[in-house]
Amino acid sequence: MSVHDFWTPFSAGPFVNSLLIGLTLGAIWLLAALGLTIIYGTMGVINMAHGEFIMVGAYFTFMMQSMAGIPWLLCLPLAFIGVAILGWIVERLLIRYLYHRPLDTLLATWGVSLILVQGVRLIFGGEPQYVEVQPAALRESASIAFVHIPWLRIFILGATLALAAGTWAILYKTVYGVRVRAVMQNKEMAASFGINAQNVYGMTFAYGAGLAGVAGAMFGGLKTVFPDMGLGYIVEAFLVVVTGGGHLFGSIYSSAILGELNSVFSYFTNTTFARFVLFVLIVVFLRFFPQGLFPEAKARR
Amino acid sequence: MLLELRDVNSFYGNTPILRNISFDLDEGQCLAVLGRNGVGKTTLMRTIMGLTTRMTGSLSIAGKDASRMPTYLRSQAGFGYIPQGRGILGKFTVRENIQLGTFARHDRKTSIPPMCLELFPYLAENLAKRAGLLSGGQQQQLAIARALATDPKVLLLDEPTEGIQPNIVQEIERTLHRLNKEVGLTLILTEQHIKVARELADKFIIMDTGRVVAQGPIAELSNDLIEQHLTL
Repeated sequence: MSVHDFWTPFSAGPFVNSLLIGLTLGAIWLLAALGLTIIYGTMGVINMAHGEFIMVGAYFTFMMQSMAGIPWLLCLPLAFIGVAILGWIVERLLIRYLYHRPLDTLLATWGVSLILVQGVRLIFGGEPQYVEVQPAALRESASIAFVHIPWLRIFILGATLALAAGTWAILYKTVYGVRVRAVMQNKEMAASFGINAQNVYGMTFAYGAGLAGVAGAMFGGLKTVFPDMGLGYIVEAFLVVVTGGGHLFGSIYSSAILGELNSVFSYFTNTTFARFVLFVLIVVFLRFFPQGLFPEAKARR
Repeated sequence: MLLELRDVNSFYGNTPILRNISFDLDEGQCLAVLGRNGVGKTTLMRTIMGLTTRMTGSLSIAGKDASRMPTYLRSQAGFGYIPQGRGILGKFTVRENIQLGTFARHDRKTSIPPMCLELFPYLAENLAKRAGLLSGGQQQQLAIARALATDPKVLLLDEPTEGIQPNIVQEIERTLHRLNKEVGLTLILTEQHIKVARELADKFIIMDTGRVVAQGPIAELSNDLIEQHLTL
């Protein structure tokens, strides 16, 4: 392999295209990381089953489509509700007993992820399933001059921004958000002023799981649906959360930066090498900024 | 009788911190909890709020048994808590901190009660300011305003004048006096200053190593008792 095979020279049109692709890639990573961010930022729980919540959301969508014929756009909110209920059950039965034991939550949520993967494999088998994106126009690409981007990715970008904005509004513009942020800052004081922290944790975990569910419904249309698909998203999702510092704005910025970096390196080299460079950059970055881009939110624990 | 504690023991983990605490309080009274550092005054407050690992014995407020209630229900049952160190949420604005108090209200109103702002004009003028930027005295005022926003039956004040500049200490004392004598709020107050306790309180208890060693009407707080339990 010569250097010329490895290195793609700069050319304006395709480069701009890859910048836009990078933006949509960042959106996909952010979508995968949103629920994780909320759960970690609010409760300090590292949810190892988050990728599997995404997977369940995808299967749930597949089921609703193939069995009940529900249109894809309607599947999105339903996947949110379905996986939110699953998350709420997991929190009530398991996580709530482990709040003072972060290592144990790590292990327990990993156990949940194994149960979900094997459970889904038992029910649906290991072969890939497909979610059909509707309306059909979303399956085509937007082509303007030198820009070629699948409409679905643009849809995901918009949906992710809407979900992030909605999450921000709930946290910062509602009375319920005041309760959540009070528990985040000081659980004892929140309880001393009438806030049922258990309840807030349960709802927050359910909400984060629901975000994973809706992510799964969209990712199912992007790629195939199979029991191990969560793994394909969870690594990037964790990178986004860690690099961002564990709160909403950090995740938004870090996903955009990481998506762009990945896309730019992919343009000049190839996707595998880009991922390698990205991981090295993150390791170096965390060496000097272990608290992430916006360390303020971590002063808590 | 508004508040009654009978044989209350309180634990951190399995370690008993308070033993056999009993006292009661009528509506409108002010109780001073006295004692040297580290004898369990703060733990008594935390026990009433349900913030220790567990308690035994009985605690009732307005005839309701609160000894099995989790913290958030106790606050709704009528305890307005002003903790040691003030417990202000620094990232919240002044308004959000007071709003936090309204979550413990019975009527579920989330608007800020006018009395909170009447008592503390500084807070009224700085509602949008981040609470972490306030001075110690201002934070103490905010903590009192937040506890008042819960529409409490009993106000629990843990060292309200500790670490605060003298001119604000007097202001806080005046506020407490007004709340107790004019508004008729019941107060439990831990204090290092005997003078403040004598001015405000109707009753006192003296604690030592987790027990109540003396109690009675404030007139009975003799120099002998002070000599014996409170001087270093």
